[in-house]
Amino acid sequence: MSTQTTPDATDAASRNDDVLLSVEDLVVQFDTDGGTVHAVDGVSFDVREGETLCIVGESGSGKTISCEAITRLFRSPPGFIRGGSVEFDGTDLTSCSDDRLKEYRGNRIAHVFQNPQGALNPVYTIGNQVREAVELHTDLEGSAIRDRVVDLLGEVGIPEPVTHLGDYPHELSGGMKQRVVIAMALAGEPDLLIADEPTTALDVTIQKQILDLLNDVQERHDMSVIFVTHDLGVVAQIADRVLVMYAGKVMERDDVFDLFESPEHPYTAALLDCLPGSGGLEGIPGDLPDPFNPPAGCRFAERCPAVTEECIEGDQPPEYPVGSDDHTVSCVHHAPDGDPGELDGVTGAIGGDES
Amino acid sequence: MSADGDDAPGGDSGVRTDGAGEDVVSSNRRTFEDIDWTAIEADSRRVPPLTALWWGLLTVLVSGLLFDAYWRFAPEIPDVPVLGLLARETGGAFSFPVVGVITPLTWLYALTLLFVVFKAIVPLVRDRRMTMYYWREFRKNRLAVLSLVWLAVIFAIGTVGPLFLNTPKVAPLEAYQPPVFMSVDSGVPVSCVGETINGRCHGTWEHPFGTTAQGKDILVSVIYGMKISMQVGLIGSFLVILVASAVGLLAAYSRGWMDEILMRYVDIQITFPTFFLYLLVTFMFGGSLFNMIVIFGLFGWGGIARIVRSEALQRREEEYVLASENTGAGTWSVIRRHLLPNVSNSVITAVSLLIPSLILFEAALAFLGLGDPTIPSWGEVIASGRRDLDRAVWISTLPGIFLFFTILAFNFVGDALRDALDPRNVGGES
Amino acid sequence: MQQPQWWWCAVKKWGYLVSRLLWAGVATWVILTITFVLMEFTPNAQYAQLQFSAAQSGGDPEQALETAKRLRGDTGTLWAQYTEFLSNIVSGNWGWSTYRSQPVTEALATAIPWSMMYGVPSLIISTVLGMTIGLYSALNQYSREDYAATLFAFMGISIPNFWFAIILLVFFGTVLNWVPILFDTGVAQNAAGNLTLGGVFSLANLRQLILPVVVLTTGSIASLMRYSRAEALEYVEADFVKTARAKGVSDRMIVLKHILRPASIPLATLLVGDLLGIIFVGSYLVEVVFGIPGLGTLSYNAIINQDTALVFGTIFVPTFIAIVGNLAQDLSYAYLDPRISFGDDE
Repeated sequence: MSTQTTPDATDAASRNDDVLLSVEDLVVQFDTDGGTVHAVDGVSFDVREGETLCIVGESGSGKTISCEAITRLFRSPPGFIRGGSVEFDGTDLTSCSDDRLKEYRGNRIAHVFQNPQGALNPVYTIGNQVREAVELHTDLEGSAIRDRVVDLLGEVGIPEPVTHLGDYPHELSGGMKQRVVIAMALAGEPDLLIADEPTTALDVTIQKQILDLLNDVQERHDMSVIFVTHDLGVVAQIADRVLVMYAGKVMERDDVFDLFESPEHPYTAALLDCLPGSGGLEGIPGDLPDPFNPPAGCRFAERCPAVTEECIEGDQPPEYPVGSDDHTVSCVHHAPDGDPGELDGVTGAIGGDES
Repeated sequence: MSADGDDAPGGDSGVRTDGAGEDVVSSNRRTFEDIDWTAIEADSRRVPPLTALWWGLLTVLVSGLLFDAYWRFAPEIPDVPVLGLLARETGGAFSFPVVGVITPLTWLYALTLLFVVFKAIVPLVRDRRMTMYYWREFRKNRLAVLSLVWLAVIFAIGTVGPLFLNTPKVAPLEAYQPPVFMSVDSGVPVSCVGETINGRCHGTWEHPFGTTAQGKDILVSVIYGMKISMQVGLIGSFLVILVASAVGLLAAYSRGWMDEILMRYVDIQITFPTFFLYLLVTFMFGGSLFNMIVIFGLFGWGGIARIVRSEALQRREEEYVLASENTGAGTWSVIRRHLLPNVSNSVITAVSLLIPSLILFEAALAFLGLGDPTIPSWGEVIASGRRDLDRAVWISTLPGIFLFFTILAFNFVGDALRDALDPRNVGGES
Repeated sequence: MQQPQWWWCAVKKWGYLVSRLLWAGVATWVILTITFVLMEFTPNAQYAQLQFSAAQSGGDPEQALETAKRLRGDTGTLWAQYTEFLSNIVSGNWGWSTYRSQPVTEALATAIPWSMMYGVPSLIISTVLGMTIGLYSALNQYSREDYAATLFAFMGISIPNFWFAIILLVFFGTVLNWVPILFDTGVAQNAAGNLTLGGVFSLANLRQLILPVVVLTTGSIASLMRYSRAEALEYVEADFVKTARAKGVSDRMIVLKHILRPASIPLATLLVGDLLGIIFVGSYLVEVVFGIPGLGTLSYNAIINQDTALVFGTIFVPTFIAIVGNLAQDLSYAYLDPRISFGDDE
């Protein structure tokens, strides 16, 4: 790995050459009848070329919206990007017009979504839908398009692709559907693939197949991958680096091995504790904070076993480096004037299995 | 929010008892061992007063209805001495001391109200939490709340008014009186009840809405019309709910050929427009409100039966039904306790949109002159003013405004009910 | 995944078609039978009159009835009459209209064009406008236009069309004098009393058709608007639309290809079924108010004049159209939606 810099370095010159995507202080809000939802409240992360970044968090953490914000896929209204920037290969996507953004979608940044059942249009054949992607992103014509479609389907592991061109989505299993979706995503040879919980709705055995497929595809095409999930088991299998989100904010950011060995944020530790085999059965007590009216201080304070007075004052604590520069934690106890001792027994070295 | 939110799952066994060791009602911390089964069994044999009242009233009303309907259509009314004490026969109908003439329609109306009170209002009052939840959701739609108020007013006036007011009387001398806020050329009315200023006859408070070509007071007609519309809407939907639920649930629960036959029948019934059916009936038997309501009720339930069936089919596969069957619950019990309440939301929504079309139907038929000539109805008044549109525009206009707003109100309420009651619409973001 | 044999699919498709046709036939037969039964019970005004006059002149009413029936051919066993009735209907002999002094079929034939004159434009306008506005509303949910359209839809469904017709007639006819108050049939006909194309499309005729079309349209368009908005909304928020967006498909293509096409399936079925119903009932009232000599007026007059044969004839037409409409609806639903595979249960 090349030299590392802190993820939120603002000096372009010192930014690493192989950073493909740089999200900085992203703020996304949704205006609803009940008020304004603070879905993403100041999130920053980088994705480097060829790496797999996993974004982890529970439902409502803002991980999905963060990814959809990259190419502005959510409906606007009611969603708006109200702050921050998304820099992809030198261009700030947040200031791009819709038309400009369309050139990136599918072409350079592709998406795979969670629910394969609904992801494909039921009235068109899969051949038709993959073809649509190919036509949009390549200059091929005539029978070359068909060949490419067959190739793509073959690449994602659909047996005898030619016979399946005329299949409708409802004739395929969940795993097959997800493969088709991945095929569509690959049509434009994207540099970045954003996969939002692509295996959550699938059986465990199929999950493994799809994960292996994604791994293959990433290597073959030298893509970067953002993988959103709430399943730390999956993270252990595929991630290079991990971003832990909670209630619209980043809690911890680390290299995957380090994170599993010694998580420094109480939330991360709690998540790891929930893994089967690690002993705890209690779950994390408490509820998510009100998305309409986030509390002052650290978002996790209410549920944190190591909470102190400082935690509930002011803003979410900034991300302090721990150990190496590549590992940051948003926790007052890791501030220069904080006392990491408060976290004893809560975080720190975890023994044992990461599977 | 639950006060016990912080309990770990598994429950801790804090048993609360009073000094005598009896269970304290509504304690959240009872365990299974604390339940006194013999006491519950003894309780369940006693009939709670509300249920007794319900069955009592139901019996009275149903027998009254059957009684009255039979005498009405029977060739001759036999001489029953006992009955003579209770009621007097006036021209084919029984007249009771306080309430006056009772027709089969009155029995039906009373039955409808009985069901509304016992099957709708009482459960709502009992389960206050859900009711408040529904109300809060409903309240979000301000137009709907306004509409509800309007409908309540109409219902109140329509029920109370006719008790104090006499039916609109024909009064040729008072024909064509303008409403109180209008004036009309003095040549139009035969004689002007109000003042005549500058050759124009002005309206008076004696006839706030003016009078028709026959001199009938329009305000009184409108009030009676409210009663008619309410009756048509409520009784009609009551019958529809009854039949539709029965058929739908039966079809969903029995599956197989019973289901097939029932649904085929529904297909045919839906194809034949109820409107034309009523036309036929009028043609053959003459128009009467009772006929109209019964026809609507007996033949307009097809759509709702389908809704009930599809909902019930979905619910039937749910685990709680299976669990209930496993503990030995009979078919009827399962239908009544599990399927019916879950289906009721869709039914209520559908019915709240059915009522306006029933009212509209009645008005249209009355307008065409095919309704019941003996009763004053909005449609009838509108029709009576058609010929005089150029001279006395208020005759057709005013009742029409009431009709329009009442139907509009029902539609708004129905829409808001759908949003409030439909569990599918309660969506969260994940 | 095993592909079903192609010929099996074909058999199933044709089988469905046949079964639906059969069903339409059955429904028709059932309705005809019911009609026959009803007709048997209908007091026939003429016979009643005959009996009355026979009784008055001291004759035997029963005898008079028998004779009249024999003359009319109204004899024979019930079954014989039934079969004759059925064969008559099928062969186009729908009886004689006493009120119009012509065969029922002829009376219908003269009335139907008038109904179509305002009915067809109304149907087309409500469909096109209704679906378009509904789709637009769904795509721009919660916008001001959406609220306005929804409000309009509510009003349209709620307003009693006969009352609305009267009000419009007063306003535009009497007060503003833009349209004639009385419907003039001569405007669309030539000297011999036959409808001509030129007459039908003449300015005078169009002028008097405006209000009826407006009244009928407001009712049906409102309904269509609401339903198409609801249907389209389900697709607008669908996951596969998000996928398409992520693929980089243009907004226009998303609307046309990904939303409109799947949504058109339920919409097509809605169109046929409910719309026809609204139009038929609505047209009845519209014709009576405006005085248009179409099917509705014919039916109405038949009832008033106790003309049994005509009454049934005028009720058949909308019923048969409804049956055909339902048939078309079922078939189109099945053929348009690839998810339906003719008998495979999920």
